[in-house]
Amino acid sequence: MRTDAPSVPAKGVAQAIPKPAPRRRSPALRRAFPYILLAPALAYLLVITLYPGLFAIYQSLFVVKFLTWEWTGFGNYSAILQDREFWAALGNTALIGAISLTLQTVIALAIAYFAYRDPFIRGWRIVYLMPMLFMPSAVAFIWKLAFNDGRVISDLLGRLGLIEGNIDWLGSIPLARLTLIVADVWQWTPFLFIIFVAALQGQDQEIEEAARLDGASWPSIFWNISLPMMRPVIVVAITLRGIDITTMFTNVFVMTQGTPGGATETMSYFIYRQGFRMFNFGYASAASVLMLILTVIIAQTVVKRAFHSGKK
Amino acid sequence: MASIHLQNIEKKYGAFVGVQNMSLEIADEEFLVLLGPSGCGKTTTMRMIAGLELPTGGKIVIGGEEMTEIDARDRDVAMVFQGYALYPNMSIYENIRFPLRMRGIPKAEHDARIRQAADMVELGSFLDRKPGALSGGQRQRAALARAVVRQPQVFLMDEPLSNLDAKLRQSMRVQIKHMQRQLKVTTVYVTHDQIEAMTLADRIVIMNKGAIQQVGTPDQIYSDPANTFVAGFIGSPPMNLIEGVAQNGRFVAPGVTAACPGYVQGRVTLGVRPEDCHVGGDNVQGMVYGVEPTGDTTYLTVLAGTKKIEVKAAREYRSDIDVPISITFDPAHLYFFGEDGQRIRGAA
Repeated sequence: MRTDAPSVPAKGVAQAIPKPAPRRRSPALRRAFPYILLAPALAYLLVITLYPGLFAIYQSLFVVKFLTWEWTGFGNYSAILQDREFWAALGNTALIGAISLTLQTVIALAIAYFAYRDPFIRGWRIVYLMPMLFMPSAVAFIWKLAFNDGRVISDLLGRLGLIEGNIDWLGSIPLARLTLIVADVWQWTPFLFIIFVAALQGQDQEIEEAARLDGASWPSIFWNISLPMMRPVIVVAITLRGIDITTMFTNVFVMTQGTPGGATETMSYFIYRQGFRMFNFGYASAASVLMLILTVIIAQTVVKRAFHSGKK
Repeated sequence: MASIHLQNIEKKYGAFVGVQNMSLEIADEEFLVLLGPSGCGKTTTMRMIAGLELPTGGKIVIGGEEMTEIDARDRDVAMVFQGYALYPNMSIYENIRFPLRMRGIPKAEHDARIRQAADMVELGSFLDRKPGALSGGQRQRAALARAVVRQPQVFLMDEPLSNLDAKLRQSMRVQIKHMQRQLKVTTVYVTHDQIEAMTLADRIVIMNKGAIQQVGTPDQIYSDPANTFVAGFIGSPPMNLIEGVAQNGRFVAPGVTAACPGYVQGRVTLGVRPEDCHVGGDNVQGMVYGVEPTGDTTYLTVLAGTKKIEVKAAREYRSDIDVPISITFDPAHLYFFGEDGQRIRGAA
C-alpha cells in the first residue's frame, strides 16, 4: 500500500505534461555571448577613454600647429623635461595636493571618530555631505568671492580683530596656495568623512567592547585598534582623492589662474595653458601622458604597499 | 578573586523588559552558569556585570565595591566573547599583551606573563601569528589567554564555545573548567547549551523571559526542577510533560495512568524523565511511533492518545512502528506540576 501509492499519481502527472524538447543554444552564440554582454560598456570606454587616450599619445609625438603636424618623436618629451614651468607646476601640484590631502584626511578622521557612535548621525549625514553635492565650478566661484572679489574672509578676520585692512590673497605665494587648499578641503573632506564613518560603523562592535574591558580608553581604542583596521579603506580613499587632487583644475582656473607668478599653477592648468592658450597641442599631449604615467605609478605603489603589509 | 552581588537589577529597553528584578549572590571562586533560551536575558545580565550596559534599576557589587555606574574599563573584569573579538591587526602575542599595556603593568613583566598565559592554553608556538591565520579553536584559546593574562577579579564568558564544532567544544570545556579551578577566579558563564551548563557549573541559574526560574547545583536542577520550564529545558531528550487530571491518588491522561500523592488534585502536569520510563508494565498504553538507536542507547517514542512520550530504552531494543506497547514509570521519580507550571510539593 505504502510502496505503490505514490507511483500511480506520479505516472499520471508525467503523462499529463508533455516533456518539452531541451533547448540548446548554438555553440557560436554561446561563445559570443560574454562579448555581446560586454559590448556596450566596451564601446563606451573606447569612445570616451581609449580613443582620446591613444590619440593623445599619438599627438604627443608631433609638433602640432593647428592643421600642420610635424613629426618630432620624443622631442616634446625632452623639451618638457627641460621646461622649468613644467617642474614648477609639478612641484605646486605636489605641495598643494599633499597639504590639502593631509588636512582633509586628519579632519575627516577626527569628525568620523567623534561622530560615528552617534545614533543620530544617519540623519545628519546629508549635512556633512552638502559641500560635495555642489557643482565644483560654483564652489570655486563662491570661494573666489569670499577671498578675493568680495573680501568676505578679510572682513570676517578684521571683525574678529585678527587683521587690519584687507589681505591681498593673490599677492603672496603662500596665501594664494592657501586659498586653493581651503577650497579643496572644504569641498572634499565630507567625501573622506563619509567613507571613514562607514568603515568605523562596519567594524565588529565586540572588538571595541573587548578593548574597553581590557582597560583601553576611547582614544587608545581608536589609535590602537580602529585605525589600523581601517587602513585598507583609508588607503583607497586617499588614493581616489589623491588622483582627484593631482588633476585639480577648476579651482585654479576660477580662483587664481596660476597667479602669482605661476605659484598656483597645477599640472592640469599647465596642460590647459599649453594646449588652449598657446595651442601647443603636441606639447600638452606629451605633458598629459607624462602625468598619467606618474599618477598610475604612484597610485599603484601606494595601494600595493598598503595592502601587502596589511596582509602580513 | 571577588564575590558578585546583584541586587534587584533590571534592564528595560523602552517597554521591553530584558531583565526583571533579578537578585543573585555569586560566591568568590564560584563557577556560575547562566542558562536559558535565546532572548532570556542571560547575556544582558552578563553585560551589566561587565559594565557594557547600565542597568535601569538595582545595584551591582563586585568584591565588596559598588560598581553599578563604574565604567567597564575600571571594573577589573575580563570577558571572552562568542566571536572571540581578537584584534585582527595584532599578532597573538600583541593581543595577549594589550590588556597589560592598557593597564600600565610594568613592561618587564609582560613577556613572562604572556608566555605563561599562552602556555596555559597551549598556544605557545602561535604567538607570532595574526588571528586570521588561526583556526576557530586556536582563536578561542587566544581569547582565553588574553582574559587570563591580567589576572582579573572576575571572568565573564559569553557563549565562548558556540562557534566551535562538537569535538572541539568538549575538549575546550574541560580546558576551561581546569583553568578556572587552577586560577580560582570567580566566573560567570553564559550558554544556551545545557550540556555545557551541567558539566561546567558549580551552580546553574536558569533564566526565561528576563527572570530567574531556578538556581541550584546541576544535580538539584536535574533531579528537583522547580517548574515545567526547568523540567522541559534540562535533559536530553527533555522530561516528558503529560497534562491530565489527578483525583484520589490517581493521575489520568489519554493512554496514561499513574499513582500520585493524595495532595495532588485537579488539572496537573505529570513530569517523567525518559530514563525513568521502562518498556512493559501498565502506566502507558500506546503505539510505537519511532525507534532511534544511537549506539549506546535507543530512544523510543510512544504515542499515547495524542501525546508523544520519549523513553530511553535498552541499547538493543528494536521494534516496528505502529505496534501496541506498554510503558511503566519509575514511581520514585515522578514530578507533578500545577496549572501555573510550579512544582506541587507535599507538606514537608
